[in-house]
Amino acid sequence: MFGYQNNVLRIDLTAQTAKQEPLNMEWAKKYIGGKGLGIRYLYEELKPNTDPLSPENKLIFMTAPLTGTVVPNSGKLAIISRSPATGTILDCSIGGHIAIEIKYAGYDAIILEGALKEPGYLYIEDDKIEFIPANDLWGKGSHETESFLLNKHGRDCKIMTIGPAGENLLPMACINSDYYRQAGRGGIGAVMGSKKLKAVVVKGSGGVKVADMEKALTRVHEILRQDTVTEDNLWAYTDGTATLVEACEAGGVLPSKNFQDATVNKSEGFNSDRMIEARKGKRGCGSCALGCGNFTKIGDAVVEGPEFETLSLAGPNCGVHELKAIVKFNQLCDDFGLDTISAAVTVSWAMEMTEKGLKDFGIRFGDIEGYLQMPEKIARRSGIGAELALGIKELSKRYGGEEFAMQSKGLEFPGYEPRGSWAMGLAYAVADRGACHMRSYPIASEVYEGTVEPYTGEGKAKLVYDGQVYNAVKFSGIICDFWGLGLDTLAELLTIVTGETFTEADMETIGDRIIHLARAFNQREGFTGKDDTLPRRIFNETLKSGVAAGQRIPEEVFGKMLSEYYEIMGWQPDGTISPEKLEELAL
Amino acid sequence: MGLQFDSEKCIGCKLCQQACSGSHEGIFNVTLARLHVESYYEAEDLKVEAKVCTLCGECVEACPFSALSIQENRLHFDRENCQNCGICVETCPESVIVQKEDCVGVCDLCNGDPWCVKYCPHGALSYEEALAHEEVL
Repeated sequence: MFGYQNNVLRIDLTAQTAKQEPLNMEWAKKYIGGKGLGIRYLYEELKPNTDPLSPENKLIFMTAPLTGTVVPNSGKLAIISRSPATGTILDCSIGGHIAIEIKYAGYDAIILEGALKEPGYLYIEDDKIEFIPANDLWGKGSHETESFLLNKHGRDCKIMTIGPAGENLLPMACINSDYYRQAGRGGIGAVMGSKKLKAVVVKGSGGVKVADMEKALTRVHEILRQDTVTEDNLWAYTDGTATLVEACEAGGVLPSKNFQDATVNKSEGFNSDRMIEARKGKRGCGSCALGCGNFTKIGDAVVEGPEFETLSLAGPNCGVHELKAIVKFNQLCDDFGLDTISAAVTVSWAMEMTEKGLKDFGIRFGDIEGYLQMPEKIARRSGIGAELALGIKELSKRYGGEEFAMQSKGLEFPGYEPRGSWAMGLAYAVADRGACHMRSYPIASEVYEGTVEPYTGEGKAKLVYDGQVYNAVKFSGIICDFWGLGLDTLAELLTIVTGETFTEADMETIGDRIIHLARAFNQREGFTGKDDTLPRRIFNETLKSGVAAGQRIPEEVFGKMLSEYYEIMGWQPDGTISPEKLEELAL
Repeated sequence: MGLQFDSEKCIGCKLCQQACSGSHEGIFNVTLARLHVESYYEAEDLKVEAKVCTLCGECVEACPFSALSIQENRLHFDRENCQNCGICVETCPESVIVQKEDCVGVCDLCNGDPWCVKYCPHGALSYEEALAHEEVL
């Protein structure tokens, strides 16, 4: 098939050797690339119960057939491993230009195995692979590391780094690229840290061949103008995800003070209008036609962002309503290598524990000075940060507060309050990597568009399932979340690029297969339906204000949604996939 | 008048370079593009740089084999005359002439309908030849 390089770079960090091997094209037809194909490789190669932070865990960088072409919004890279935060499958997505560079260097995927003995970084220039010592960079921030490597190897290199959080193996450590782009969730940066790998530097001189260049140029251009750069998607350019601050506040789903409530009434300090005021420039990833990135600068606080998740969780959810503080928190998290979502929710949990007198973490809601010290303390495991670095699942086991430790499977909640969007609650509970908003996004129908009644369990299992299928195949193509293309269009793009005929029905089959594969991986690691749950706060406490005031998700309704979801999936009542079903799926 | 660039509208996506390499070389590879547009971070600032053919004509003057000429406000490349000496590549003040194995690649403005402009998502690149032509008429 065209679009692929038919080449995988497999690197043994322990032996410091590298070899190239053909891509498994049989799997490529069944899983395309990105998320799906990466999980397929890991499912095959990782022994069950492998410690995520041991050299035996693998770190897979996976591109896709559309990567490095003129297809809009196709520049993201999937990174796959077993999560140190949850123990589940973990696939992350990172923007910038690194995915295209890996493809141009001649690879569909890079699979890292083993671990370096001393800190080092990888330099990959086409066929040339070098293992370079990085003792001097160990301990430095992601930004300083990237600047150093760009100076050394030239600005045409693309780079992924980790910060101190990754080095210190935090379950909330991210991977950074292009300064302000992250593979954020599930501790993917700690996997890289466990391999003593500070950075990956890539420079590629090749290109990508497609099946039909004439059509690739003419038809993709039509699609770009008629389907991508359109009113439905241009919010990403005009406002970026900051626009969700207003949408979520109006819908009563903007979390406040560790999800104690979901209305803020002070959002003018950090909403999309305020973001536009502070904006200094716009930026997109490689091959992006939208450009969601907002380069923001307020005094010494500088970041590309903050995205909605950070605005919401490091904002009102920590009792902070001032953009400059949120920008600074974001900048510090990026530099120290922390996922802003998990870091902010851990801090907000500590604030509630302190205010309730359950355990004094020395930090209270709205204490901006204390809150801005948290990223470094957590990332370096210093002072109170040594405790907070554990994440809230572990912390709440130690100190209590489990009912308001806002996590599922050990992954902290994203910035949407599920009591005002019940399907979102189900989506968090059944997401393959723990509480995640990127596996299914029913809040769009329940809250933004208002096409589905939010405070009911009726029909929600199907809504969540459809979203999961859509995202699973889209993130395997790989197309960015922010282009709401139809699966018929995705099939057409894959057909033009690869030369194989794909249909909309194929897309649905592949998406469904990927959800099952991820579930099978988790099941092999011991996860069952008991893990598909939410913190007690969501079931027991009602929201106090806003349009969703008085709402909670009654546990029996949640249970019914979950049963219906298992039924749609063809799983057993306890949420497991039967051996017969596994056989039938021919994963 | 050649390609125009408005840095305020550029998001650094490189779709222009993808489209240029695809249409001229039959492969997507931004290093083979006949223009170079980049946005990047340096010292906590966002910088945008663009190098496009300005039709300055220096390559035409420098070419010892008369392989390059400007015809109807476009750079014209005569493959048969090119001896692949590389002098035009070195001369181009914008560094947008591509050295290939057997000859060079120059911005020919895609016969008046440049793919880079068509793919630029937010109008950072523009080409007003058609407009200028209409004004003359």
